[in-house]
Amino acid sequence: MNGFVVGLLHPLALPAHVLALLALGLVIGQQTAGRWIVPLAAFVVGVAAGLTAIASGVGQTSAADVLLAVAFANGALVAMARPLPTLACALLAAITGVTLGLDSPPEAISIAVATAMLLGTGLGASLALAAIVAGTSYIASVADWNWCRIGARILGSWIAASAVLVLALRFARGQLF
Amino acid sequence: MDQTARLRSALSLLMDRWRAVTAAAASILLFAVPALAHTGSSTGGFVGGFAHPLFGPDHVVAMVAVGLWGAFLGAPAIWLLPILFPLVMAFGGVIGIVGVPLPGVETAIAVSAIVLGSMVALAARPPLWIAALLVGAFAIFHGHAHGTELPPGADIVAYSVGFVVATGLLHLTGVAVGLLARWRAGRIAVRTAGGAIALAGVAFLSGLG
Repeated sequence: MNGFVVGLLHPLALPAHVLALLALGLVIGQQTAGRWIVPLAAFVVGVAAGLTAIASGVGQTSAADVLLAVAFANGALVAMARPLPTLACALLAAITGVTLGLDSPPEAISIAVATAMLLGTGLGASLALAAIVAGTSYIASVADWNWCRIGARILGSWIAASAVLVLALRFARGQLF
Repeated sequence: MDQTARLRSALSLLMDRWRAVTAAAASILLFAVPALAHTGSSTGGFVGGFAHPLFGPDHVVAMVAVGLWGAFLGAPAIWLLPILFPLVMAFGGVIGIVGVPLPGVETAIAVSAIVLGSMVALAARPPLWIAALLVGAFAIFHGHAHGTELPPGADIVAYSVGFVVATGLLHLTGVAVGLLARWRAGRIAVRTAGGAIALAGVAFLSGLG
């Protein structure tokens, strides 16, 4: 597999990234239709900023912990299913994007392959998020599918519970921040 | 014997039986050797996390009881309890992981099976906040038990996800079975299942399970 494809699949290969993308996608998708363009754009800008920072040689950060903390917050918000201001959604999306980018250092020796991996990661994460948002938004728009909306809330509570357990384990092992 | 005397005699008999049941329950609670059914799982990853809750029969029956009771209570409890439980259980897990001691964890888990199973068997319909409070209180003990048993696996994210998903699926299994309560025969079956769960809880508490 070339670097771009590896990068494209990278966000789907890490459980923490999948959790974060799923939680953010559900939060944005739960909002009123048409109000998810700004949060999606904020995510794309955020992930681009995070990946650019990685490409510029930013070393080890606590991005993985912050990503899990945001996933916990997003999961809890999904479980509560309350409408959020667009700005708040955009802020959550931007933080998720930046931390996901920072937590995706390419494991490649060649600069060309590493660049292709970073580009693939940005595109893969953005496409995955857009797909989750589109799916959730569609489910939210169908009046008869109330059980699906409840399912999304249950999923949100599972994500929040998983994320907080991981954060606690990292804290107990002295690995947090 | 006139009617008043008969009524007094019946009430007296009822009180005697109630005292006997209370005394038996108190002695079980005081002298019980909990089954310690949480054997845990030593493997990491999603599969290890998923298998972990399934290895504790006391945990399994209590989770199914949460779903059964939610289905019995109807909306919004049918979905509120399965949303609430993982969140509160995670809180219990956090205090277990960081080493905050909680007394009588295994006893409380066995009692949760008795109480939740009895609620289903008796078709109890308390206000939603009481049901949520009861389920939430037990969730802390279940979470604490699991939190102290999480192994030092390589992939803690996948492990935690597997663990939470398995617990959630046990709730949903209970909800699915509990939906049978819409029919008369199904209602009897669900209440019987609740009674069986309560009895299993007594077995766990007494060390038989």
